Amino acid sequence: MRILEAHNITKSFPGVIALKNVNVAFETKKIHGIIGENGAGKSTLVKILTGIYQPDKGGILIEGKEAIDHRNKKLFEKVTFVPQELDIFQNMTVAENLFIPFRKSGFEDTFVNMGKLYRAAIPWLEKFKINVDPNNLVKNISISNQQLLQVARAFVNKYFKIIILDEPTTSLTISGITCLFDAIRKLKTEDKAIIFISHKLDEVFDICDEITVLRNGEKVGYSRVKDIDRRWVITKMSARDINEESTFRPKKRKKEDIILEVNGLSGLGFSNISFNLHKGEILGFSGLVGAGRSEIMQTIFGLLPVKSGNIKFEGKPWEFGNTNFSIRMGLFYLPEERKRQGILPLLSVQHNISIALIDKISNGVVISSQKERNLVEKVIYSYDIKTPTIKKQIIYLSGGNQQKVIIGRAMFCMPKILIFDEPTKGIDVGTKNDLYRMMKEIVDEKGVSIILVSSELEELLRCSNRIITVYNGEKVGEFETENTKESKILNSILGENIKNSTECKL
Amino acid sequence: MKKENVIKMLGSILKEKQISGIMAALGLLIVIASLSSPYFLTAYNLKAVIRSLAFVSIVAIGQGCLLLLGEIDLSVGSVAGLCGVIGGILMVNVGINPYLSLILCLLLGAILGFLNGLITVSLKLSSLIVTIGTAGIYKGINLVISKGRAITDIPKEIYFLGQGYLFNIPMPFVIMLIVLVLIVFLTKYTPFGRYMYAVGNSKEASWILGIKVNFIRISTFMITGLLAALAGMIMVARLGSSQPAIGELWVLNSIAAAVIGGVALTGGIGSPAGALIGATIIGVIENIIVLCGVSVYWQTAVSGVIIVGAVALDSISRMGVLRKKKI
Repeated sequence: MRILEAHNITKSFPGVIALKNVNVAFETKKIHGIIGENGAGKSTLVKILTGIYQPDKGGILIEGKEAIDHRNKKLFEKVTFVPQELDIFQNMTVAENLFIPFRKSGFEDTFVNMGKLYRAAIPWLEKFKINVDPNNLVKNISISNQQLLQVARAFVNKYFKIIILDEPTTSLTISGITCLFDAIRKLKTEDKAIIFISHKLDEVFDICDEITVLRNGEKVGYSRVKDIDRRWVITKMSARDINEESTFRPKKRKKEDIILEVNGLSGLGFSNISFNLHKGEILGFSGLVGAGRSEIMQTIFGLLPVKSGNIKFEGKPWEFGNTNFSIRMGLFYLPEERKRQGILPLLSVQHNISIALIDKISNGVVISSQKERNLVEKVIYSYDIKTPTIKKQIIYLSGGNQQKVIIGRAMFCMPKILIFDEPTKGIDVGTKNDLYRMMKEIVDEKGVSIILVSSELEELLRCSNRIITVYNGEKVGEFETENTKESKILNSILGENIKNSTECKL
Repeated sequence: MKKENVIKMLGSILKEKQISGIMAALGLLIVIASLSSPYFLTAYNLKAVIRSLAFVSIVAIGQGCLLLLGEIDLSVGSVAGLCGVIGGILMVNVGINPYLSLILCLLLGAILGFLNGLITVSLKLSSLIVTIGTAGIYKGINLVISKGRAITDIPKEIYFLGQGYLFNIPMPFVIMLIVLVLIVFLTKYTPFGRYMYAVGNSKEASWILGIKVNFIRISTFMITGLLAALAGMIMVARLGSSQPAIGELWVLNSIAAAVIGGVALTGGIGSPAGALIGATIIGVIENIIVLCGVSVYWQTAVSGVIIVGAVALDSISRMGVLRKKKI
């Protein structure tokens, strides 16, 4: 049954048309994937479907009734939405988070009865395999559980008929994803429509029944999943033919030349990590979310305090806890949280680039505007950064272009080691390949060594010469990528003792 | 620096959108002022206006530097008062050369700012709380030393700084302009200034870029303290005596002036130079009130309205930024 339909939706914002004449219909008992590159209009469509935005043209039918009509506003209560970012109350309990707002979840009492909430929460937590006490504060449970809780919360809404999940798996562990998918499949049998938005093609093919592809605000494709393959989706999404299979492993690794030697390093959330980084290689770091990969890198770089251990850089001792030292030695960290740790959001592209290159554009006291502009334009040209002008505030650039700014400015500092922490998080397929190519070039042509931290095993397999696996803060394996099976690494990052770990269980 | 460079620099500040909006508001206010009172545009009145707004402007330029970093200093008034009193004691009771005393007091201001910064940075506290505390401490020391009494007979040599004129422009205003040029130069054309903006945008990103974040923060606290001391000393020269109450009204007005001038309370955007325009707006409004014969008791209420209005404007303009971002 068609429960939600959007007709000829057009929406524009000052300067951009976000959606052009989009028609899409969602049926109950179906999981409908929406896929598209960044800026394709996915989030705008979601906001229109949930009643947050009014379309300029077109209509929304919910259960056959026009929902944009202000008399039918209540119809939007049937649509529930799980945002991509964690948006839950950290200092309230799991049970409270689950049932807020109370009216929608069926708690109509004047006073909040914590005991009642507690009892009502248990079956929900079991359903989603969130193994925590309902009275725990949310900030004390794992990120993966928080994300599951956020999904569970949407299900609690007693009015809902349609659920929209926006990239729900970004912070989930593998078993968390399995749990979530089990719950979603169960929901399908309950006469609900499910809309699933994701970048990850594997997931879309795993769970969706039908799929709509958006590009530049237009619907460019629709099909049942069983009739199509990945190639079809990628071609539709990017309007380019991208070969997903090619690898980007650097060719000129010097195994005898060790640039970074880490011995028995311990810090916040990890212990006794030892490894060598060779000149001219990409060294992958694989592990589950929360396994301690980022913490290891941030400790080496100097952002986090070290407990014990030592590092030799080109044979010389290393100074901990001093990012300025690391940068001067030529070790750069490109953070996972691009918005918070990478860019300077309110400043222009120009100032975001030149801030890392101050030494090159000033005589120590005064900055030369001329030198600054020349250098910035060189960076923008060399790294193919797409920006209308160099004065544009960087927040208006796409995620991929922001990442290029961060890479470009680091590269112009003549680095020796770059640590990439989840460099392709939230970046679309086409730009991903650009970034892989860029990394390979950096290593092969400029002789830089790269440490690549990633949650996407596929990415590590395609890009890195070696992969180190981390489980629960400890190094559990080291593999030459070329002759290692994916399943072997997967078992390693899940911890060897866990059997059947891709099944959902408590 | 060459003269045309200075003009070019000031021109480039005016090009920033936020400031040109504020400039329009100021222009409108001046028209209203000249229509509502024939005395507004007289040379005598204008001199009085720019002389009196120079003090708050100097403090506000310093405050603007700190706001740019996302910090705040509520002790500027107490720093000005304490430095004024100690300056008075050095000149009158100890008998040190007045200009040397002046320099010593500026150093003292920088040290007091350094303490604010050191406590904030090393204990990872909010500068709002820290400077509420140190404001009390500095004020308390001031009262203990001065016993609440003014120090008179300040040497006449330094009266020129507060009461004199250069090309018919009151000296406090001239000093303020020098400060303005120096600070604009610092923030726009030096590595230090760029780092200030970076830290104000994101401390974490700045660490990752290898910027010495804490050095930048503490140094900026010192600049703010030094400028507060400077304003206090010029006020001593203006009054010819060290009043313990100097600076009491400067705290809120300096914040209001900087925010009206386009420095975001959350840091990272705006120019401390905007503080001058903000201070001018406040100064002109206060002048209108006086010229129109409205009771001076209204002045405080009006300053309050201006502060709330400025913060509201700041917030509304930032909401605009966010809305655009979500596309």
